[in-house]
Parts: sequence; C-alpha cells; structure tokens
Amino acid sequence: MGIWRELRKNKWLYAMSLPVVVYVFIFSYVPMSAHLLAFKQFVPGKGLWGSKWIGLDNLAFFFTGPDWLGVTINTVYINLLFIAAGTICSLCIALLLNEIRRAYFKKVTQSLVILPHFISIVVVNLMVINFFNGQDGMINRILVQFGNEPVNWFQSPAVWPCLLTIIFVWKGAGWGSIIYLAALTGFSEEYYESARIDGAKRWQQIRYITLPLLRPTIIVLTLLGLGRIFYGDFGLIYGIIGDNSLLFHSTDVIDTYTYRSLRSTNMNSYSNAAAVALFQSVMGFATILFFNGVVRRVDNDSKLF
Amino acid sequence: MAENSTHLKPIKPPKLRDRSQLAVSAAAYVFVGAFALFCFIPFWLVYIGSFTAESQIVQGFRMFPTEFSLDAYRFLLQGSQVYESGFVSVFITVAGTAGAVLLTSMFAYAAAHPHVKYRYVLSFYIYFTMLFPPGLVGYYLLISNWLDLRDSLLAMLLPLLFSAFNSFLMTSYFRTLPFELNEAATVDGAHELRIFFRIIWPISMPVIATIALFYALTYWNDWFNALMFIDDPHRHPLQMMLRRIISNSQNLDYLNTNANTPVSATGVQLSSVVITIGPIIFLYPFLQRYFIKDMTIGAVKG
Repeated sequence: MGIWRELRKNKWLYAMSLPVVVYVFIFSYVPMSAHLLAFKQFVPGKGLWGSKWIGLDNLAFFFTGPDWLGVTINTVYINLLFIAAGTICSLCIALLLNEIRRAYFKKVTQSLVILPHFISIVVVNLMVINFFNGQDGMINRILVQFGNEPVNWFQSPAVWPCLLTIIFVWKGAGWGSIIYLAALTGFSEEYYESARIDGAKRWQQIRYITLPLLRPTIIVLTLLGLGRIFYGDFGLIYGIIGDNSLLFHSTDVIDTYTYRSLRSTNMNSYSNAAAVALFQSVMGFATILFFNGVVRRVDNDSKLF
Repeated sequence: MAENSTHLKPIKPPKLRDRSQLAVSAAAYVFVGAFALFCFIPFWLVYIGSFTAESQIVQGFRMFPTEFSLDAYRFLLQGSQVYESGFVSVFITVAGTAGAVLLTSMFAYAAAHPHVKYRYVLSFYIYFTMLFPPGLVGYYLLISNWLDLRDSLLAMLLPLLFSAFNSFLMTSYFRTLPFELNEAATVDGAHELRIFFRIIWPISMPVIATIALFYALTYWNDWFNALMFIDDPHRHPLQMMLRRIISNSQNLDYLNTNANTPVSATGVQLSSVVITIGPIIFLYPFLQRYFIKDMTIGAVKG
C-alpha cells in the first residue's frame, strides 16, 4: 500500500530511474544466473535451463586441477603489488606536487602524469612490445650499451609481476594522486602555521601533520583495493600478456584463466569457466564484506554500507 | 573557524622559507619532474617514431631521429580500414556517450532526490552489482547468445551504457545541490522532467562534462567487446584495428591499402597509435579543468 502511494506520488522521478533499473536488471542481474552453469553440463543447444545438473563436478574439476592454486596466488600477489606500489606512488606524487609553488610547472607536470590514464591498453601494449622486445627493443639496446647482456623479456616469467607493476604505476599513479591532492588542499593552513612557529621543519610538517590527516583517506582507498583482491586487472594483464603461455606461470590471474577456459574448444568450456567465475564471485563477495567490516571499525564514516 | 583565521592573519609568522622548505621543494621538483618525464617519454617516442623514416625505425626507437618520412601515414590513410574503423569508433563514442550521460544523470537525480523515499534502495540495487559482478560467462552468454548481438555495433554500445561508479559520482554531486531550487520550481507547478532539464542540468554542467568525458574515454578506448563479439573487420573500432596490426604485424593486408611504398610494420603501428590517441590529446586541455575538481568532490564524499 505504502509502496504504491510512494511510487504514484513521485511517478516522474521513478520513471526517470526506470531505464537504468531495467538496463541493470538485464545487463547485471540476468547474467548472474550463469553462475548456475557451475553446477550444470552446459550444452549450448539446450540453453541454461535445459542443460543437465551435474552437481559439484565442475568445481571439483577446477579444484583438483593443477591450475587453481597458481592462478589464485598470482591474482592476490599481483594485486598486492599493485595496491602497495600504486598507493605509495600516488601519495608521493600528491605530497610533492603540493610542495610545488610555480603554477606553470605544477600544471604541466600534473597534466603529464595523468595523461597515461587516458590511453587504451592496446596502445600500452604496443609501447611495451616495442620497448621490451628481443633484439632491437629500446630497453635491451640501453642494456647492451652499458655492457650488459640483453634480456629476453617475453620468455622470462619471473620479471613480469614487477614489470606489470611498473606499467600499472605508469598508467595509474598520476590519476590516483588526484584524490590525495584534493584531500590535501582541504587541510587548514593553521596547523602548518602553528607548526612553523614552533620551528617544525617542512618534512616534519609532512610527517606529523599531513600524513596523519591523510590517514583515513589512505586507509579507505587501500581497503577498497583489498576488497577487489580476487579480481585481476584483466585489461592490463590480458592486453599485454595475451596468449603468451611462456609467461602464464607468473602472470595468469583468475580473470585471464576464466577467459581462456571460456574460449577453449573444450566441450565443457562454459561450465568450467562458470565454476571459476563462481569461485571468484564468492571469494570477492566475502572479501568485500570482510574489509567493509574492517572499515566500519577503523573509520565508521567511510564504510561502504 | 574560517572567520577566525582571517582575524588572526595580521600576526604573521616570520618568513620561514628556511632550508628545510628549500630541501623539500628541491626534492619535489626533481621527483615530480622525473615522474612526469617517465610518463611523457613513451608518448614522445611513439609520436616522433611515427614520423621517422623507415630506415631508422627498423633499428629501434630514438628520442631524436634525423631522417623523417610520412610513408607510414600515407600507407595507413590510403587504406580503407582506417576510415571504417574510425567511423565505428566515432559513432560508438558519440552515440554511447550521449545515451549513457542521459541515462546516468536521470537515474542519479532520482537516487539523490530527497522526495524519493526509496532512493537508498535504488542505490543499493546498483551497488549490489559491484559487490557481486555477473561474471564473464554470464556476460558472454548474454551478449552473444541471449541478445544475439554478435557482429552488431550494439555489442559495443550497450554493455558500456551505464557505469555504477559514474552514477555514484553524479548522485553525490546532486545531493549537494540546494534543494530549495526544486522546491521553488515545484510550487510554480513545473513538471519534474522540466525541472531536471531546465534547472538542474544547466547548473550541473561541470559534473555532466566530467561524466561525459569518462564515458567517452571508455567507449573510445574499449577493445574488449570488439575482441569478444566482433569478427567482421568492417565493424572493428580503431582500438581493434590497432590490436590486429600489433598482434599480427606480418599481415598489413588487413588495412586494405593500395599504397605500394615499402613500410615497416612498426611505422604503421606507430602512426595508427597517433591517429587513435590524437582526439584524446586534443580534447584533453578543454576537459581537464572540469574533471580534476569534480572527480574529487564525488570521490571524497561518495
């Protein structure tokens, strides 16, 4: 009764939200049903509902297979590297940009550090290939010039978590600094003035005033990142590594693994991929709930829900 | 607080641009300058490389080449693929951004409007899809089997039409608007839709421009949907064209060109990149002044 009255009273406002409500239902809620495929033997001809239930076989196949532990560890490990390096670099850029007084220098450098955020992974991929490839790549030529042996980057899995992190920082750290910079510029000048009167050095001001004031922002952003720790950066990793199986050992994450399972010619590819996707969604959901609980304790105003 | 501080201004502390300030400033200039260079150099190499003569480019990239040529551009622009792909990219970006901004802003407005009793239900309905994403398999089945959009431009247009993140950004902006504005208009008997488009929309131009930029970039830079769903080269967007000639550099036939100048695959790749990121660089200064301010408003509060 109450619902209908409310809907009627604000019918135009609800009507404005309706396209998105319908859209999200089709594009986000309907596909969730595909998680059921994890428990079915999917035959495209029979569709989602017509296919046969086979219980936990697909999940068992995934968890008894050789890959699941490796891809899970890779996903978590690469994300941890991304979060740590991304946070530190963004924070440094913001802190140091804030120290720059020359408006022109500040504007130009800020524009430049944000620029990589705006280009597609395909372009990044091209840059990476041309800088790192075998004989004539830029990096190898520099190495040779300084008397080192050239490295065959695309056949050395061990270096890639690190290289991906550098690429991630290149692409995202400048963009990530905007949010810290915005928080920074809001801090009252009074704190700094009184610290200066007490004889605090500039780095002491940063250490004992700015960083403590930034703490809530840093914590919340880090926890948000940790909440997505089971979701690999598909665009970046698949865009650069692609189907280069020599590098899978260190770079294959859950998302790229799912994608390949889906595309494989295996009879049961959809159901296998669905089992992995279900595992990821459940783990992701649990992590977000967990870290939201943590945020609630640390800083109740910043909780997500 | 703010008033007090202006009263206190006259007691100026002694000018303490001491050595610690200088040291920190110096470190700031060096580090920020170095990181800015680090970000910029790859762009420069690509840009200058695209104009470098073939004889030099095959020896690898140089910061300052000495021989220049336009052969790579000539090769690319005499082919039909770059125009077809360019058209697809522009069409998807323009149509998609227009639709996405309209949908998102209407929804965000309803989700922010204090009269709407279920506004938090609306927000959670969106938020839940971030907590529990549908997953790749469902997404693939939806587009390719259930909606049957293979090889259709809609397969690149529809999936990006709404972003929960952008919607929250807008919702938190709309929440900061003075509600009396609507109140006054409603008393005058104006229609909700009219209020939205005639009053709210104009005063929200900064945030709308920001969101439009975000959507436009997402559309322009998207290659994943094309990779998954578009097999027909006539419907490949620029990013997909680029991906094709990168992953298969032996096969420049893809570009459908009838130029018979000898060019290196690298040169053609570089000139394609310049054409692909050109519009972004061109629009960048215009849009930058909006988004830095507005992204942070939404992000800090939202």
